Amino acid sequence: MAKSKMKIKAKEKGGVVKVKAMFTSLMADREESVKKGIKPEYINHIVATVNDAIVYEVSMSGFMSENPLVKFKFKGKKGDTISFTTTDNNGKTETGKKKIK
Amino acid sequence: MDRRKFLGVGLAAFAAIVAPTTDLRALNFRTTAPKAWEVEKTADGIKALYGSAGTKTSKKLTFKAPKLAENGGSIPITIKSSLDLESVAFFQDANPRCLSCVFSIPEGAIIEYDFRVKMRQTAFVTVVGKERGTGVLYSATKEIDVSIGGCGG
Repeated sequence: MAKSKMKIKAKEKGGVVKVKAMFTSLMADREESVKKGIKPEYINHIVATVNDAIVYEVSMSGFMSENPLVKFKFKGKKGDTISFTTTDNNGKTETGKKKIK
Repeated sequence: MDRRKFLGVGLAAFAAIVAPTTDLRALNFRTTAPKAWEVEKTADGIKALYGSAGTKTSKKLTFKAPKLAENGGSIPITIKSSLDLESVAFFQDANPRCLSCVFSIPEGAIIEYDFRVKMRQTAFVTVVGKERGTGVLYSATKEIDVSIGGCGG
């Protein structure tokens, strides 16, 4: 099992927050897991919230790259906390938080 | 009724009320459209996800992708749109299952999403966006050359 780790960067400029986030996952779908001899393991849902409102949401398959890196923008302000929740195909969830700079 | 039992019932009811609302906030396409994740062809995938395969092209929905990808294991894609979209999906024909990811977009959001995908071989990729309210589907297509396939291939 991969070590759970989440790297988040969030920076505000002119009312728009730029976010970069990296998640640790093997992103191994059925075919790839057979080749590597491991169980399929991939993140299939990521949600980011600020003040209980969703700012980013994606459902995905195992065909995203290993250790998925996502970038996005949203309208927000400094000092708020952005929190991520990921769910993988085995139902395991992870959360991470970061203050917007 | 026993006081202890009554409290238990109350808690259970409370949990039942709270749980669905938290679920509704997040829309997981893995559970709402499970079939779409199993199809191989892009056209079938669009149909399974959005219920129709008729799409329009629009200059307002574009995506950036390299023409030639040296490493098929990590291809950077950037989707941009100035339309008011409800959701955006990314399809490719290279892998055994075509749907890579679906973004559900909150109202008033800036649509500029950057992510990386794996592709086994040279193939067409398609981005489909659904407009909020009208439900009109917009799409954009590009071919990406992959010299070394990702996906363990």
